Amino acid sequence: MSERILKKEDINKFYEAASKTYKFYGPVREKGNIIFKEISNPEDLVLDYFNSKIPPKEIVLPRTETLFEYEMKGNDIIINDDVVPDEKVLLFGIRPCDAYSFTLLETFFKEGKYQDDLFIKRRKNTTLIGIGCNEPKSTCFCTSVNTHPHDKENVDVFLTDLKDKYLVIPISEKGKDLVKDLNWLEKATEKDLEKALKLSETAELSIKTKLDLKDLHEFLMKNFDSELWKESSQSCIGCGTCAFLCPTCSCFDVIDEEDKYNNRGRRVRVWDTCQFCIYTLHTSGHNPRPGRIQRFRNRILHKFSYYPIKQGLIGCVGCGRCIQYCPVNNDLRKIINKFNELKNKEKEEMVVA
Amino acid sequence: MSNIQKENEEIERFIREVSRDLFKENKVDLIIGYGKGSIPFNTTPIFISEENDIDKLIWNNFCYINLSRYLLPSLNDFIRENKDKNLKIGVISKGCTARSIIQLIIENQIKPENVVIIGMECNGILNRKKIEKEFGDLEITDILINGDNIIVKGDKFEKELAFNDYLSELCKACKIRAPPISSKVSDIIVGKSQEVSSIEEDDFSDISEFESKSSEEKWAHISELLKDCTRCYACREACPFCYCNLCFIDQNLPTWFSKTSNLGEIVIFHMIRALHVAGRCVACGACSNACPMGIDLTIITRKLEKIVKERFDFTAGLDLDTLPPMMTFKMDDKEEFMLEED
Amino acid sequence: MPNPYVPKLTTIKSIKAENKVNDIKTFELVFKKEEDLKEFNYIPGQFAELSLLGKGECPIGIASSPTEEGSIKFTIKKMGTVTTAFHECEKGQVVGVRGPLGNGWPVEDMKGKNIVIIGGGFAFSTLRSLTEYLLDDKNRKNYGDITVIYGNRDSGEVLYKEDLERWQKRDDIQVVLTIDREEEGWNGKVGFVAPIVKEVAPSSDNAVALVCGPPIMIKTTIAVLEELKFKDEQILNSLEMRMKCGIGKCGRCNIGDKYVCVDGPVFSLAELKQMPNEY
Repeated sequence: MSERILKKEDINKFYEAASKTYKFYGPVREKGNIIFKEISNPEDLVLDYFNSKIPPKEIVLPRTETLFEYEMKGNDIIINDDVVPDEKVLLFGIRPCDAYSFTLLETFFKEGKYQDDLFIKRRKNTTLIGIGCNEPKSTCFCTSVNTHPHDKENVDVFLTDLKDKYLVIPISEKGKDLVKDLNWLEKATEKDLEKALKLSETAELSIKTKLDLKDLHEFLMKNFDSELWKESSQSCIGCGTCAFLCPTCSCFDVIDEEDKYNNRGRRVRVWDTCQFCIYTLHTSGHNPRPGRIQRFRNRILHKFSYYPIKQGLIGCVGCGRCIQYCPVNNDLRKIINKFNELKNKEKEEMVVA
Repeated sequence: MSNIQKENEEIERFIREVSRDLFKENKVDLIIGYGKGSIPFNTTPIFISEENDIDKLIWNNFCYINLSRYLLPSLNDFIRENKDKNLKIGVISKGCTARSIIQLIIENQIKPENVVIIGMECNGILNRKKIEKEFGDLEITDILINGDNIIVKGDKFEKELAFNDYLSELCKACKIRAPPISSKVSDIIVGKSQEVSSIEEDDFSDISEFESKSSEEKWAHISELLKDCTRCYACREACPFCYCNLCFIDQNLPTWFSKTSNLGEIVIFHMIRALHVAGRCVACGACSNACPMGIDLTIITRKLEKIVKERFDFTAGLDLDTLPPMMTFKMDDKEEFMLEED
Repeated sequence: MPNPYVPKLTTIKSIKAENKVNDIKTFELVFKKEEDLKEFNYIPGQFAELSLLGKGECPIGIASSPTEEGSIKFTIKKMGTVTTAFHECEKGQVVGVRGPLGNGWPVEDMKGKNIVIIGGGFAFSTLRSLTEYLLDDKNRKNYGDITVIYGNRDSGEVLYKEDLERWQKRDDIQVVLTIDREEEGWNGKVGFVAPIVKEVAPSSDNAVALVCGPPIMIKTTIAVLEELKFKDEQILNSLEMRMKCGIGKCGRCNIGDKYVCVDGPVFSLAELKQMPNEY
């Protein structure tokens, strides 16, 4: 039996052991917000939290990331493309929804003819220690998008919070090696496993928001020009909060920065969103998505239609951040339900006909 | 003892009555107001075009969005496309919302004949982020007002907090709770309003603590405040005055500033945006409320207001006659920054 | 694994002014490293992301044909930050190149068919690449009749004058040039591209039409082609979109679930009709 117990009072010991090999990232509380940061003092680690505001995707896809640096030497340019540090990162306390987002992001950055090696390198260097959610919020809907509060699939080691201790289950090869090295962890008992199972079942049952997303992706594409988009986007102010706080949004802008005095510069990428008005603006002035309706529709379709069409998976992890933090409370659940109503109405009309 | 819940119910009844009359008398084509949010602490803007939907309008102390934001640009395009129909849009307006509308009229962004200010006397907006912080990550399922207190309920808890302790800083300092009425503006205001002459003097005492800091302390404070900024521009999108076709930060011929999350670049963005809205900002707090990181820009907004008042003796959005300081000049404008020797 | 965002370095070998008002220039680039040139295997219709380090990057269609060895050519119009910076470059300037990117014209599928090439204005760039490719001794026999219809606002705007002259001298290609209005000394046709296509009336039998130009020209030309019984699968378009990464990762060039930089920029009319109208 490979399951172990990590007592919460031993967290510091765990930190000491892990930080010898890894850069230890975990949840800390800053100005009232939970954020995943590099920890130098294990006392800063918060163990009693729901989830971070900014999704942990920023560890594998930083807000500002150098693509390459260059130096001018006469008429010659020397490019340094070795910009991703070789360090190993341990991300402690990631929730199953965010861990699933890492899998979705990786699928996206790996697919096709070209692969994003920067992301892939960072992802490879990151080990995920997930903690299951015992008390999902009413805005969570992970069970509607192919995952659930105790989903063990996308992490290296899975922890279940048993109040004063964690049940430790190694999942991947990386995780198995990590747990093996922590040979001071006690073995878990049958009782621990039972308790964890019960917590998992209770958590799954407690999910209040359930969205019916079956076949919705085709319906949304077919109804690209529906009036319902106008209605759904009316209160949207195009602020981009939903995209910036979304674990699966990964669009970026590319900017060149020049340090003329020192004959050098760099090309960076920064987080961007399709909600910005200049996202698709051509130099000629033509904009394929000139208004709020088009931009709003694009984001919803990208998650619930285009991603499913290409990957067979819904591009959303049900974390509920867009619902909680939208400044105008434009609730995603309401929009999906409206489209479902329309879909069902059409089905009925077809049957009658 | 004030009864805030009763006040809210009265305001709600009042705005529904006024709105209903406007529809009955065919005086508006559309009303923008606040509707019930889907989660606690939230309200959502609603767009009502039929009398039947009037009861969707609500009022509570979480109506923090500045609704005048919706007049530009898309509704304004809608109005222009239907020039011959001379559309009228009613906006449920607290004092700050009305001041934004008046200021937008001065800036020629909307015509007075296309807007109706449905005035109400605002009793303050609560600082949601401050309340949330009291409860860590516990989920709040309901918020009620009881007497002078707020009752916050969760699945396993219930707590009472003093209303006044959680009122937004801007609302605490606010002197213009109902739309300010002056001669030219009276035509477009229905409902409650207050005489400009009755507005109390603002002593800006809420920022005196910040002002007394040294330069280094001020810089430390501002850096700490802004360092979490993710450059999402929610503050810009929520602001009714950020309607430029191409914001300075998006320009690339030339590129003025970078879009990275480097502290210098973040501070520059906020300072320049502050300068661009100086003399127009009505301290509605929409920017702080929209920020996903919970950055409270109150200090900047209030300091701006104070500088504009002291230098130019101007308060934004009070009447249609006075041009804001950044749109005009006077021969006796102070120029000490040019003449002073260091 | 190589970082896909890093450009290969080239130097500008020559700069040629293409039009009278001098806002369109063709830049001939030579790779600094031999192996980079060897790896740059492209087909007509593809594009590359050109970098002026410190200024930015822009996606430009490759104007040279893969049969023209040793260097690659790009025709750049002065429009925004990066393109303006290009126009201020001199010979010898270092330029970064990432590519070849995109799907290109389907030269394999087009074999054995009659090719109708219709271009308007500055968009003729990749069509020049295709024409040179088709006319090359190695390739000419694989294709049927070649008709080129190229329209411009006025004679000063006509690009690749020397190449056009060379093609007109050949007997295995029909070249029709047109300008919008009468001009003294102009020997070609006069009129917009669409009515000239109607006049030339290329047969749709076993043919494929490639259309490149400003939106209004594309719209009117497609209408004429449909009249001439061209089916949707027989009409190909090369789209333009705002691009940054060029490799389908930054997200911005999508039309529906397709990325113009990876699934395009060449799309058939049949494909375009399946895609949402956001381009």
